[in-house]
Amino acid sequence: MTTATSPRRTGGPDRPSGAAGGSPQKHPLLNRIFGKHPLGLIFSAPYLVFIAIVFAYPLGLAVWIAFHDFYFTAPGVPVDRPFVGFDNFRTALTDPDVWQAFGNVGIFLLINVPLTVVLSLVLANGLNQITRFRTFLRVAYYVPYVTASVAVVGVWLFLFNGNGLVNEILGPLAPSPSWLINSTWAMPTIALFVTWKQLGLYILLYLAALQNVQQELYESASTDGAGKVRQFFSVTVPGVRPATLLVLLLSTVTGANLFTEPYLLTGGGGPNGSSASPVLIMYQRGLEQGNPDVAAAIGVILIVLVLILAYLQNRFAGERN
Amino acid sequence: MSTKTPRTRRTLATASAAALALVAVTACSSGGDGGGGGNGGGGGEEGRGDITVWYSNNEQEVAWAEQMIEAWNADNPDQQVEGQEIPAGASSEEVIGAAITAGNAPCLIYNTAPVAVPQFQKQGGLVSLSEFEDGDEYIEERSGETAAQYASEDGAYYQMPWKSNPVMLFYNKDMFEAAGLDAENPSLATYDDFLAASKEIVDKGIAPNAINPAPTSEFFQSWFDFYPMYAAETGGTQLVEDGASTFTSEDGYAVAELWKTMYDEGYSSREQYQGDSFADGQSAMATVGPWAIGVYDDVNWGAVPVPTSDGIAPSETYTFSDAKNIGLYTACENQATAWDLLKFSTSEEQDGQLLELTGQMPLRANLTETYPEFFEENPAYELFGDQASRTVEVPNVPNAVTVWQTFRDAYSEAVIFGEGDIQSSFEDAATEIDELVSE
Amino acid sequence: MRNTMSKGQRTLRGVVLALGAFVFLFPFYYMIVGSLQESPDPTVGGAFPNPGNLTGENYADINARINLFQGLLNSGIFTGAVILGTVVFGILVGYALAQLQWRGRGVTFSIALLVQIVPFQLLLIPLYVLIARDYGLADSYLGMILPFAINSTAVIIFRQYFLQIPKELFDAARIDGATELKLLTSVALPLVRPALVTVMLLTFIGPWNEFLWPFLITKEADLQPLAVSLANYISNVAATAANPFGAVLAGACVLAAPAVLLFIAFQRYFISTDIGSGVKG
Repeated sequence: MTTATSPRRTGGPDRPSGAAGGSPQKHPLLNRIFGKHPLGLIFSAPYLVFIAIVFAYPLGLAVWIAFHDFYFTAPGVPVDRPFVGFDNFRTALTDPDVWQAFGNVGIFLLINVPLTVVLSLVLANGLNQITRFRTFLRVAYYVPYVTASVAVVGVWLFLFNGNGLVNEILGPLAPSPSWLINSTWAMPTIALFVTWKQLGLYILLYLAALQNVQQELYESASTDGAGKVRQFFSVTVPGVRPATLLVLLLSTVTGANLFTEPYLLTGGGGPNGSSASPVLIMYQRGLEQGNPDVAAAIGVILIVLVLILAYLQNRFAGERN
Repeated sequence: MSTKTPRTRRTLATASAAALALVAVTACSSGGDGGGGGNGGGGGEEGRGDITVWYSNNEQEVAWAEQMIEAWNADNPDQQVEGQEIPAGASSEEVIGAAITAGNAPCLIYNTAPVAVPQFQKQGGLVSLSEFEDGDEYIEERSGETAAQYASEDGAYYQMPWKSNPVMLFYNKDMFEAAGLDAENPSLATYDDFLAASKEIVDKGIAPNAINPAPTSEFFQSWFDFYPMYAAETGGTQLVEDGASTFTSEDGYAVAELWKTMYDEGYSSREQYQGDSFADGQSAMATVGPWAIGVYDDVNWGAVPVPTSDGIAPSETYTFSDAKNIGLYTACENQATAWDLLKFSTSEEQDGQLLELTGQMPLRANLTETYPEFFEENPAYELFGDQASRTVEVPNVPNAVTVWQTFRDAYSEAVIFGEGDIQSSFEDAATEIDELVSE
Repeated sequence: MRNTMSKGQRTLRGVVLALGAFVFLFPFYYMIVGSLQESPDPTVGGAFPNPGNLTGENYADINARINLFQGLLNSGIFTGAVILGTVVFGILVGYALAQLQWRGRGVTFSIALLVQIVPFQLLLIPLYVLIARDYGLADSYLGMILPFAINSTAVIIFRQYFLQIPKELFDAARIDGATELKLLTSVALPLVRPALVTVMLLTFIGPWNEFLWPFLITKEADLQPLAVSLANYISNVAATAANPFGAVLAGACVLAAPAVLLFIAFQRYFISTDIGSGVKG
């Protein structure tokens, strides 16, 4: 937590610390307490207050709930809420549905995340190079993202139905039972749906990042005789690495928080729970069935797993520089 | 750019530390808050004054509620009622649950699902109507024997039995005719009849499916495939009785086997249909209550009691009630007014209005005798009026929603998708359910 | 430099982009066609508008049941306030996280990440109790807006873009004696304009399509945003409509149309090459 104030680390090679404002000399005490730019804290104060109010308190309560025998009651109803240690976690982890749901999300992420990163970078790169139809294409890619899930789910159901358009075109190649009621295909179909739905956002992020890749790099690569494909891998891909990290993180988090799609697309995680997600199980246990303590335990497990995953992504995707 | 990556990594590494810190800080404060101190909710049974009520947002019920409130407000200027809509869908229980917790539930909700009552009661959200002097008497006199199914485990009523939608088997007369079946007196009394009719319809390509109950996994879906037929087969047994599940019986297996055959033979679809397959002419039969009559305007339909293996006589066939009740919530300050409004809105006159405006059956003893004119003018409803006297409700047991979800999961696996053996799936579910209800 | 691409490569690029556009647009197109159909047609032929099967009925039905104007207005207030809050405060935090050194910066960024990770369903009831009971904000715009007021994803994106601005620009301005606020408004902001529009659109989507929260917090129909009334319509009323499928799709189109139109109107602000020229001086 003290990294920001440590002069040893902030004075990187491309960041001459002497030039970064004269404030350190003016308020030594203030700076020792709040860091080199106390203004940063003032800038962030509204956000921090907001977080404390609408995020920290409910999250803290949720974690507290996970360690107690808890259910929601009307105000003023006296109930005993004993501390039960890891009991709720034990209940959650001995439930095969919970394991299945985490496994399902694993499958989802394995399909969705690589597909998202590759497709959005390739499409953004292509889009960046052309001038004709650019507006049209940009709108096209963004439209699914703009539309509410509730709305587009209807179309997908219709398309991927047993006698829907997709199977009609595939003919004998169509899986049986059809996509969304096939325990093998339900999750991949959802992963595909989410990729389709979210890709517009990631294309936008990459498009904006591509503007920052310096043209000189392409020019010098070109002079060295690199073709377009080589340039893509040696200039573009490293050039947008920060955006890639962001895309990785956001798509992983979106996947881990998967709820609306199994809820609507496969009628509550069917068939036989093969498309249930941890958040769906949380919703069932916590809100439908009145066991918020077990639901909170599942939530805590989910958060910890995602944190680990995000850490690993940063470690491996970020290190190659 | 080289400095960014390590910094991102470091900050991410502190994320878990930050999470723990947050928790540590907030846990102390929330401990007390979460304990449910707060300001007192119930203003008492004596209170009189303005109140708020919620009702379902479908067009017909809104019309009924608006005229009911108008009539009340005209007579009671000092005790005005304000009405608001909540959705009829699955999310209405969440909304009510959240409102109970926050202490801002209205006085009455004319859309309280019996399956949610045990939970709302456990949350301290519902007022026991039995505590009103004339509570038990009023409920039992109005609903007769049916009322007993709505009493909670402690014997008190935490819900006013209001209206039912007894589920029957609708069939499409035109399709039956096209399939060469008797459209006026269809033979649908036994399972063999039911399967034979289904076979004709599908084999002759009259409709893609014979009947299409939702094959999805929501906890309440079993109310429209398994449960009505189970109620009929057992002559009125609930899923759980006397603290033990009842469906691991010959009757339970018979119903499950029937539906398994329906799915295996393709008479029913394992895939969810968008919209109403019966109304859209995609299936020839449907298990629904009378609310749907308005929806089936374009279909030339008939209705019969759900089938049983031996063909029990219609006058003795039970079914699932699909009732919606009225709850009086503890956050209500003017409970005396609420109780009076509750009685006013379930009076003979208002029940008649309900019947007239929504086609749903007030949970009244002697329904058909009370409103002879209505049933005379609307013969389509007469069957349902009669059926309303033989309905089975969901059991009023702890963890009711979990019980149904457990059952649905087992049913979905063994019956709809035909994986594994029905008997062992049901036995596993029964063991789990017995534990749930004994908690 | 652009000419180094061979003809084959250019064709391939064109094909990939066109194919992408088709895959993206087709379900949407199908949605519009479906919403105009009198009865659903799942065959390949159903993908093409058939004059004999066209009707505006599905839309007329929605208009008859929902106060579209009031819904639109509420959605506008809800979404507008969230965008305003996110842009104003998000830029401040993003800038502070990327370009300033202060104690607590690492923790703040970690929290912004953590917010992403925590599923909303976990916080739903505690949040509702807090806002409805403790703050008494049920049935108010403020209660509706509060949980969404500053989008944390936007904070992270702002930070990301402020990070990409070369330090030298700021250092030069600081030597010239510019205050931090001036640096932010006159140096940093113009350079992250693409990010600004990206963030506005990203932030727009959340409240515009959000159903559960506004619905929980408001019971007054006059306060409910379009998404709530349309979701209600889709789940309830549509089933009783003449063509339920068409009614659902028509509802979807009504909800999507303003978002798409806004996007088309503003899309030219999206990508600006200013940042490149700015860096070069």
